[in-house]
Amino acid sequence: MKPSNNQADTQLSKQLSNQLSTQFGTKLSDSLLLPQVATATLELIINKALSLNNKSLSFATVAQKTLMLELAELSFPLCFTVDNTSSPVVIIVRSTIECSDCSIKTSVSTLKKLKANQSLTQLIKQDELDVSGDIKIAQQFANIAQSLEIDWQTELAKHLGDVPTHKLLQFGNKITKSLLATGKQLEADISEYLVHEKRLVVTSSQINAFNQQTKDAASKVDSLSARIDKLVANIAGKQ
Amino acid sequence: MSPTDQNSQASDLSTTPHTSVDADNESTTHFGYKTIEKDDKISMVAGVFHSVAKQYDVMNDLMSFGIHRLWKRFTIDASGVRPGNKVLDLAGGTGDLTAKFSKLVGREGKVILADINSSMLNVGRDKLRDKGLVQNIEYVQANAEYLPFEENTFDIVTIAFGLRNVTDKDKALRSIYSVLKPGGRLLVLEFSKPEHELLNKAYDFYSFNILPKMGELVAKDGESYQYLAESIRMHPDQETLKDMMEKAGFEQTSFKNLTGGVVALHKGYKF
Ligand SMILES: C[S@@+](CC[C@H](N)C(=O)[O-])C[C@H]1O[C@@H](n2cnc3c(N)ncnc32)[C@H](O)[C@@H]1O
Repeated sequence: MKPSNNQADTQLSKQLSNQLSTQFGTKLSDSLLLPQVATATLELIINKALSLNNKSLSFATVAQKTLMLELAELSFPLCFTVDNTSSPVVIIVRSTIECSDCSIKTSVSTLKKLKANQSLTQLIKQDELDVSGDIKIAQQFANIAQSLEIDWQTELAKHLGDVPTHKLLQFGNKITKSLLATGKQLEADISEYLVHEKRLVVTSSQINAFNQQTKDAASKVDSLSARIDKLVANIAGKQ
Repeated sequence: MSPTDQNSQASDLSTTPHTSVDADNESTTHFGYKTIEKDDKISMVAGVFHSVAKQYDVMNDLMSFGIHRLWKRFTIDASGVRPGNKVLDLAGGTGDLTAKFSKLVGREGKVILADINSSMLNVGRDKLRDKGLVQNIEYVQANAEYLPFEENTFDIVTIAFGLRNVTDKDKALRSIYSVLKPGGRLLVLEFSKPEHELLNKAYDFYSFNILPKMGELVAKDGESYQYLAESIRMHPDQETLKDMMEKAGFEQTSFKNLTGGVVALHKGYKF
């Protein structure tokens, strides 16, 4: 007897959850590589600002040190490491919970206050910022951030469009923009994606429809491929 | 150990096939979908990478739509690398991971870019030197199955998109295990089996219809890219590779599917 759609769906769901349980870190944002899109973008913006900067910045206390930033609005940490092994000095941005010298727990709104030149100690006193580890490192990172004067809104809008990979992540564009601009929207988008993805995974009728579409596409690509062959032959003929 | 010393010590492994010492193993292996003599695989794989070396980076961006950069970032994030660490970027090719590790291990640390293929190593060395990365990187021509390092040398070993090209993967995993320090970790980034049937189909279609065409047009080398697509399909799936790592001695092994399992990152520790 053929299993009903429902049975098949449940089987597929079970299979999927079994698969997920053997994986480390099962967060959806991980498999979509959102943290990596975010860190690649931040790294680009920060190092561009560093290369244009003409104020004197001191990296001595933070050379090869890592600051971890945990933002209430983000589901993953951001780590900033100053690399002075080659010149110019660069800041590497990663998303990892391992190996920080100092960590700050805060929110985007508090970071805005920091940017508006409120001091780190003031914000700690007001309980808006939670620092653990070497506070001198946090202080120096804060100084660097204040000196760089990055217009985050403009830069993020500009660069998110530039990261080529990001355009190709089917849902990445939408999610990443909200992730970096209005962090709160993220969870909602992710659940929306999850619903969408789940639907794709479990519905057998959709798989059948997809199979048909694949066949159609295959025949189109066959003719495209014949045209490419011709093109290659033409190019070869001209060389 | 200076880079030049290492290079002169190593024979041209990429063109001299090794004789397999695994007597109880069969004498054949896969080269993509073809079954070939084990002894021939090294030179055939070498042929592919000598041929693609110069265009390798461009093709990588093109074929993966740039997503390989994110997969590599994910690998760095999972490595837990710290200043002072000694890292082996095995089958490191043109050195993407090496470049990032070099910045993170600092002056006290060391990164060794090892590859069996001299053309890939040369392209990698030139690229990293152009980027000003000279402080803490060494280049070693070596076969993953016979690593020329002392036991317990490295804090981290990575092998990105390399393992599927190795003739005897179990032997390579054992060799890696031996050169890791206790507490050290191995990260294997490799194409794998997409989780969803429909993604699998789309991916198959892309790999066998589009990819070799792109290889032909851009790198004038459709055959090598046909090998690439075939070798990906012949590579062990997620669970099998995890088992293989355990058999080689690794503990706390796990994997993470990226981009729906098109690629997986396996992690294992030596204790
Ligand atoms: C697809 S490239 C990957 C390069 C780089 N890791 C990256 O991710 O861009 C595969 C590399 O594996 C190397 N390789 C193949 N067989 C090997 C072996 N037995 N030992 C060491 N390296 C090997 C090739 O020469 C080639 O440079």
